[in-house]
Amino acid sequence: MATSRRSLVTVWLLTAVVLGVLLAVAETAAGPLDDADPARQRPGFLDGFGLPTAAPSITGEVPRAGRRAVVFFERAERLEALCANLDGSGLADGADLVIVVADSSAGNLRCDPVAIVEDPTSDLSGAYGLPRPVGGGPPVGYAVVDSRGRLRYRTLDPAVAGELSEVRTIVDAVP
Amino acid sequence: MTAAIQTQARTGLRLCLWCVAAVIAELGLYLSYRGHDARFHWFTHFFVGSSAALVLMAALAGRWRRPVPYPLVWPLTAHLFAMTPDLLFSAGTAHQRWMDLFLGHLSTHFVWGRNYTWYVVFLAALGAYLLVIDRIQDRP
Repeated sequence: MATSRRSLVTVWLLTAVVLGVLLAVAETAAGPLDDADPARQRPGFLDGFGLPTAAPSITGEVPRAGRRAVVFFERAERLEALCANLDGSGLADGADLVIVVADSSAGNLRCDPVAIVEDPTSDLSGAYGLPRPVGGGPPVGYAVVDSRGRLRYRTLDPAVAGELSEVRTIVDAVP
Repeated sequence: MTAAIQTQARTGLRLCLWCVAAVIAELGLYLSYRGHDARFHWFTHFFVGSSAALVLMAALAGRWRRPVPYPLVWPLTAHLFAMTPDLLFSAGTAHQRWMDLFLGHLSTHFVWGRNYTWYVVFLAALGAYLLVIDRIQDRP
């Protein structure tokens, strides 16, 4: 019986060590563009963390009444991948799209037909309430505004260029 | 080989195959959560689902006076139940508050201590189940 008890204790200890190590590895794998709180990154539901609120204006046309909008926050050196994937994604069919780029060089960048807006002081990302990433600097992620001009979703998402289907899911969830 | 030994061997093999299948399934689920931020979600739903299953297993084992059959399949099943909203999300349905019906799918992410808290809860639930097994074996 003592052997059996020893086996049960071994099972418990082994499980504790294996899962503890895996958890620690996963927790320390955060990249510099991630949210300090992983629970707030890509939560997948609307109206969390103080939302909805009135969405600040990005351009004269975005956001506008009667039309949903997706505001991407990106860095200049990563813009090419986002633009390439937006082209043909169909995302523009359901929402106005705009990309806010922190760098002051954004005036030279193109992502037609998606407008690019400079935000060198991070005023826009601040107004949209995007948190600072772990590694500091401007946020990389996106916000979704409904057709009544209310900000319904915002998240850091360093892999957003490869996850536009996820953005589509959120856009489809707002009126 | 006697018939009794053959039966024991078959039972052991069957249990082992279930163990391997359950572990492979969990590995597949882990890999299906792309990126470390998504794996944060895997851990939450694994710990919460498994803890719920282990509490149920402990209650049933205590009542039946024997261990539950296929013990790794119960946590896997509960994990799949807890992560059902993520499967719906992959199919294009955003999360909604009612999805907390799936073992607190949304709210469990926001407890104090995050996944470390659920890790402790899971180890406590596992310990409770193993304690029940130990007591059952101790009884004449």
